[in-house]
Amino acid sequence: MRSKLFLAVLAVFLFVPLMVAAEGKAAKEEAKVTFFWALYDGLTEEFRAEIEDDFNATYDDMKVEIVPIAWNLMYDKITTAVAGGAPPELCVIGTRWILDFMESDAIEAVTKYVSEKTINNIAPGAMEAKIGGELMGLPVAAGARILAYNADISDKAPKTMEELRQLAIKVTNPPDTYGLIMPGKKFTELTDFAYYLYAAGGDFFEMEPDGSYGKSAFNGPEGVKALEFMVQLATKDKVVQEGYLSLDRMNSHPVFYTGKVAYCFIGAWVESAYNQAGATFDLKYGQIPPFRGDDGKTLIITDSIALFKDAKNKEAAGKFLDFFYQDKYKAKFDELIGFPPVTISAGKLPQFQTPLYKTLIDAALRAKGWPLMAGFDEITAIIWDANVEAFLGKKTPKKALDDAAAKIDAMRGM
Amino acid sequence: MANMRVLQPRRKGHFWTTESKLAFLFLLPATIYLLAFMIYPILNVIIMSTYQTSKMAKMLKFTGFTNYWNLFQRKDFWQVMLRSIYWTGLAVAVKTVFGMVIALLLNVKYTGRKVARTLIIIPWASSIPISSLLWTWVYHPEFGLLNYTLKVTGIWKNPPVWLGAPASAFFSVIWVDIWIGIPFMTLVFLAGMQSISQDLYEAAEVDGANALKRFIYVTLPGLRDVLLIATLLSTLWTFNDFNTIYIITEGGPANSTHILITYIYENTFHFLKWNYGAVMAVITFIILSIIAWIYSRVYFRRET
Repeated sequence: MRSKLFLAVLAVFLFVPLMVAAEGKAAKEEAKVTFFWALYDGLTEEFRAEIEDDFNATYDDMKVEIVPIAWNLMYDKITTAVAGGAPPELCVIGTRWILDFMESDAIEAVTKYVSEKTINNIAPGAMEAKIGGELMGLPVAAGARILAYNADISDKAPKTMEELRQLAIKVTNPPDTYGLIMPGKKFTELTDFAYYLYAAGGDFFEMEPDGSYGKSAFNGPEGVKALEFMVQLATKDKVVQEGYLSLDRMNSHPVFYTGKVAYCFIGAWVESAYNQAGATFDLKYGQIPPFRGDDGKTLIITDSIALFKDAKNKEAAGKFLDFFYQDKYKAKFDELIGFPPVTISAGKLPQFQTPLYKTLIDAALRAKGWPLMAGFDEITAIIWDANVEAFLGKKTPKKALDDAAAKIDAMRGM
Repeated sequence: MANMRVLQPRRKGHFWTTESKLAFLFLLPATIYLLAFMIYPILNVIIMSTYQTSKMAKMLKFTGFTNYWNLFQRKDFWQVMLRSIYWTGLAVAVKTVFGMVIALLLNVKYTGRKVARTLIIIPWASSIPISSLLWTWVYHPEFGLLNYTLKVTGIWKNPPVWLGAPASAFFSVIWVDIWIGIPFMTLVFLAGMQSISQDLYEAAEVDGANALKRFIYVTLPGLRDVLLIATLLSTLWTFNDFNTIYIITEGGPANSTHILITYIYENTFHFLKWNYGAVMAVITFIILSIIAWIYSRVYFRRET
């Protein structure tokens, strides 16, 4: 009896690895592409499933698994996967993360695997991920930030930040109406400070003659002006939505869609998110205004699809990208997320000739991106904390930014 | 038990007998699992804490205790450490008191007691991330149930933005941890109370002891071991409560709700400072090992 039991246990130990190996062999027959898919506002599960099903039906020897991941969690998810030695084939990333991945030799140029036809169909201006002549990420979304406003509350697009403030003060009547949306809780991106900093003509870092980034510049007069203005709006004029310090981008924008707020600095997804929220107010678009007398700019953000060096099925990943970048899918993707198309062919489609896209194209003409530097995520967190300290009145805007700049410069060895 | 041991002749043990062979075989999967998924990662983290690391967690250069030294120089680390102790102490104390009071109420016979016992489990039975997300919306200044109720009932016309200021955010988050943890304490205390003999209560009553005295002199001594074990377990879980804080505040505003476990995550996975993450993980491991050691001492003393 005992020996039978012993044999039975032994058999289980032998069979389990054999079954696992057999499963692995079966899996090897079709090259599996794992794609970490960022959940942009506006994207639907039906669309994700449609691409997955269509690709899997088209190719017998390849299979794609599109894994939806919230934007706020994407950085953690991909760095953990790469550090754990199990990266996906493809991942949507903020283009600003590319240098971190390059520094770690984790990604490859997409041009090695994606067809020339697909690459040639990408608008040259969207290729922010071209580093040292190599395209290290295929542009997936590129959009300048704009001003969206509720014309039922205020039917005027301000020309300057000062005018925006006056208009916001005029319409604010809490708890029924507020002048402006301002997320005050730390988010994966530092967009709101960037809007005001760029509007004041400022920048995050000094530029060295060789094109590299020097010491912090966000604590200069433009940065201080930007943060003082934000603090003024939030704590003195009180024109921003209630509880701004506890709301990040994801849970403050819904307040705009309720129709209670006049102005919101936002991205191209505004229209689809507005529709999905079932909002009915008169939504109009304008440019994020500069400060009076300043050469203000707006922020443009590009995201890319990176291809990971240690992934198993890179050839199949290239094939999937060719498949996804057909107008049938990519144009629909752009339409859902509301970003202007990055492909030349989709840019000519009638659905992209609307007032929103016109505003976005105009905004792109005076836009600039994030500093493209390694470790920007930590820098973002430090500046966010400085913003919050100023909002809380723990420090003056100047002191908060000076302290943050000193910390960042020390961290960067400057 | 002890007498039985004396009566049985002592068997000469052999490491590799037919019987032990089977036992070792049965233990093999668990041993492999432990080695692969617990011992190896722990050792790896300890080793990593003594290395300079790349952004993708590669160990580049042995630096001895430099990472430890550098971390101990950081003011923010000590603030987080102090907050972790405060967080754990306060949460466990409140959970214990609330748990005890509710257990006492549930131990009294009345109509609907079974329903009350079922309802009390709900926060504990729910998934922690879902409970945390739920509370994030409860605290929402615009759409939140809490502020809405306070305003509508006239209790507080201008309620605070609960997650918007450091102090209120800290207490709001700790309340969620307490809310989730109370049912466990209640159930453990209730089970302990039901194992106390009714004769003791009756004898105390005959001696003229009132309810408070019965609680102090009968219930509490009867619950001593249970109380110790429950609070130790709760300490382990509370010190490690990542979900509640990370989902509700992500450590903000201005890092005012970070505890060690969330700080490890931020340093490791956001800032890619794997070495500092590893150092803090080792420190956490030591702290929790001490608590676990005390727990096992108490538990096994109770068993014997």
